[in-house]
Amino acid sequence: MPVFYKTLDACLDALPLQSGMACSFHHHLRNGDGVLNQVCAALEARGMRDLHLYPSSIFPVHAPLADMIRRGTVSHLTTSYINGPVAEALGEGALKGTLRMQTHGGRARAFKEGDNQVDIAFIAAPAVDRDGHASGTLGPTACGSLGYALSDVAHARIKVLVTDHLVDTLDTPQIDGAAIDAVVVCESLGDPRGILSGTTAPTRDPIGVKIARQAIEVMDAAGMIYEGFSYQSGAGGISLRATQLLEQSMVTRGVQASFFSGGITGMHARMLAAGRVQKLYDVQCFDLEAVKSLASHPDHHAISADAYANPANPERIIKNLGTVILGATEVDLAFNVNVTTDSYNTIIGGSGGHADTAEDAALTLIVTPLLKARIPIVREQVTTMTTAGAHIDVIVTERGIAVNPRRKDLMSKLQAAGCDLVDLPSLLARAHALSGPPKTWESKGRKIGIVEGRRGEIIDTLFGKVAIP
Amino acid sequence: MRRSYLFIPGDVPRMLQNLDVFDADAVIIDFEDGVHPDQKEAARQLTRAFLKHHATRDVAVFVRVNAWEEAAWFQEDLACLSGSPLSGIVLPKAHPKHLTDVVFALEEAGLPMQIVALLETPEVFFHALELAKHPAVSGLLLGGEDLTQALGVPRTSAGDEILFARSTLVYAAKAFNKEAIDTPFTTVDDRDGLLADAHKANALGFTGKAAIHPNHIHDIHVAFAPSVEAIETAERILRRSETLKSMRFSLDGKMVDKPVVERARALLLRAAASRRR
Amino acid sequence: MKKVTVGTLESSDCQITLSPATHRHVVIDSVVQAVFGEAIEAVIHRVLDQAGLDSVRVDVIDKGALDYAIEARLKTAIKYYEEAADEKELSIHTG
Repeated sequence: MPVFYKTLDACLDALPLQSGMACSFHHHLRNGDGVLNQVCAALEARGMRDLHLYPSSIFPVHAPLADMIRRGTVSHLTTSYINGPVAEALGEGALKGTLRMQTHGGRARAFKEGDNQVDIAFIAAPAVDRDGHASGTLGPTACGSLGYALSDVAHARIKVLVTDHLVDTLDTPQIDGAAIDAVVVCESLGDPRGILSGTTAPTRDPIGVKIARQAIEVMDAAGMIYEGFSYQSGAGGISLRATQLLEQSMVTRGVQASFFSGGITGMHARMLAAGRVQKLYDVQCFDLEAVKSLASHPDHHAISADAYANPANPERIIKNLGTVILGATEVDLAFNVNVTTDSYNTIIGGSGGHADTAEDAALTLIVTPLLKARIPIVREQVTTMTTAGAHIDVIVTERGIAVNPRRKDLMSKLQAAGCDLVDLPSLLARAHALSGPPKTWESKGRKIGIVEGRRGEIIDTLFGKVAIP
Repeated sequence: MRRSYLFIPGDVPRMLQNLDVFDADAVIIDFEDGVHPDQKEAARQLTRAFLKHHATRDVAVFVRVNAWEEAAWFQEDLACLSGSPLSGIVLPKAHPKHLTDVVFALEEAGLPMQIVALLETPEVFFHALELAKHPAVSGLLLGGEDLTQALGVPRTSAGDEILFARSTLVYAAKAFNKEAIDTPFTTVDDRDGLLADAHKANALGFTGKAAIHPNHIHDIHVAFAPSVEAIETAERILRRSETLKSMRFSLDGKMVDKPVVERARALLLRAAASRRR
Repeated sequence: MKKVTVGTLESSDCQITLSPATHRHVVIDSVVQAVFGEAIEAVIHRVLDQAGLDSVRVDVIDKGALDYAIEARLKTAIKYYEEAADEKELSIHTG
């Protein structure tokens, strides 16, 4: 039974705080999260230094963290995704200790196997009951699934829930109060508008529409749309359009999917409600419709990052995943994909579940326009490795579809279906014919961190921002 | 025969440089009504530079120049396009009385003698045959918006108000084996409406349909693709014809003769073209 | 002589402003500066050379336009710029 505190300070007074300790956070409140900022500010005010933070992701709203890194309040960072001012600070080389980028599944594995050692987990909990049970599906900052927080609940030494919504009892809690040490009741967990900003509308941009259509044609030609198939895609405009086209194709041939997994949107929820898919395995809700569905539909299941993607968990959901559709900021001639940095080394994201699903899914499609604002997406070599080419099967662009030569089986199926196939060197040539030859740099800058694979192996080095001449 | 003609505004680089990714059989770069008078020169320069520096893949490229009556614009359009690798031009407000002059101007500019005539006044439908007959005219294109405006009636989704124009255009084009191209469907996000309209055009005898949005191309091709049943029947007709070495026989109780065999052959060619896309 | 501006700030386009100057002065602000800044500058100088235009300031705000679009926008701007110059000279002659 946890102890309840009326303020964060009262709770911190009772906790064994010390400089150099490790604290974790989850990112289900996305760009509306107020918890990481509140807690870190309070820790800094208490003179804590050299903290090691384990937020599952970092968003622009976490801007104050950038200065805490510069001041040495935070010295180590282990996370799965970084976007915004914190990335700027890291690019300057402001972090004194180590920066590790993990996959979502790799983070769960590292908690379980003891690679990630966390002293205190501060867990934003949209609703908490009298027994300390917690749920993400109600309250003013409802965010749905708390999938990424469950490793922290299971493995941190001290677990603190932070909530702004106390209820009597929760019927179907996602977090068991028995595991919780403390509950802090605060005014607000954050800005609900920033929480559910995950979903965009299905793209209407004709290039995006073409890419989405081709992705579904590839899925179809590969024989991956059948009774009981499974599927995962992101919440970007192209992915949503692809999911919409997939639904049309399912209706036409009268097939039902067994499950959709990963980040869940209203579109997935509507397909569940319409009986197009049997189950949703939801590690993260992207919009309010998904949150409502999770709260009400018996076949919409919140799952932990461990159950979702931990490579050491033989029961992980994505082990049985049929097709995954993913994005890229860079793709190279060996099919390696970068979604971690831009071409000047600045961190603009991270694997999230990219490397996890790419490796486990039977068919991994990358959807991307060939150029973004004149910059070719296909390159000789990626700036940063997020997912190895060995796990990428097909690159779908508006100017051609490249199949990994490793997948000769796919190549012949797609050829027979009349897909617009092209090899990567030719696709690179097509990109350069439009853009002109892009300027490249030799200098790498100083080392600022590492990219870990799912099993904790180092797959690449992160460098400081390239000084542009 | 081209199933789709996609209009691309001549003054929008993002559309222009992607004109060959939308899978249209042909594109029409627009200099006319889709381009503001202030932007005519921009459209000319952008189009000329794009065609000079970039090869396009698997698409016929037309330009809708300004109308012959807009003499200054028309002349500048042709002068700027001179030497560009075009398949032809689309001539707005087409009328047989201008054709000789237009052909002469094309020749002067070193452009191909291929004109898609845009029929958009009530009167010109009574000259459709003359247009179709002209050797430089490769097809007739229906301009439904201008036409209904001239008729003083609203455009409807059923399209009864343009039925006469549609049929007249198809008859005239078919009389001289030219392309008959239907007016674009103008609502961007109405897939059912688009499919119904394109199926209707196909049923009326059009060989293709124009589009004002790239997202329409796929569905136009769906509507103009021969059905699976039609392909099977055509294949059986050709097989029987070859076995019997005859163009007159009966199949499923229906009489087959030379036109039927030839239509079957044409349908299979179209089906093969659809599959390649 | 007056300022002339052509083009847009939409993706894959650029906005180019020509104004009088004592010598050729090219200022480029591009979303792809690091990768294509030099390529953009080369196109600008090539087109200015062809037009024999030296006493001019060129301001380019680029949103990822390809070389052909930069060339076309600049040629359009030059055309208007020279027309504006002719009108001015005309007004001097008649004025």
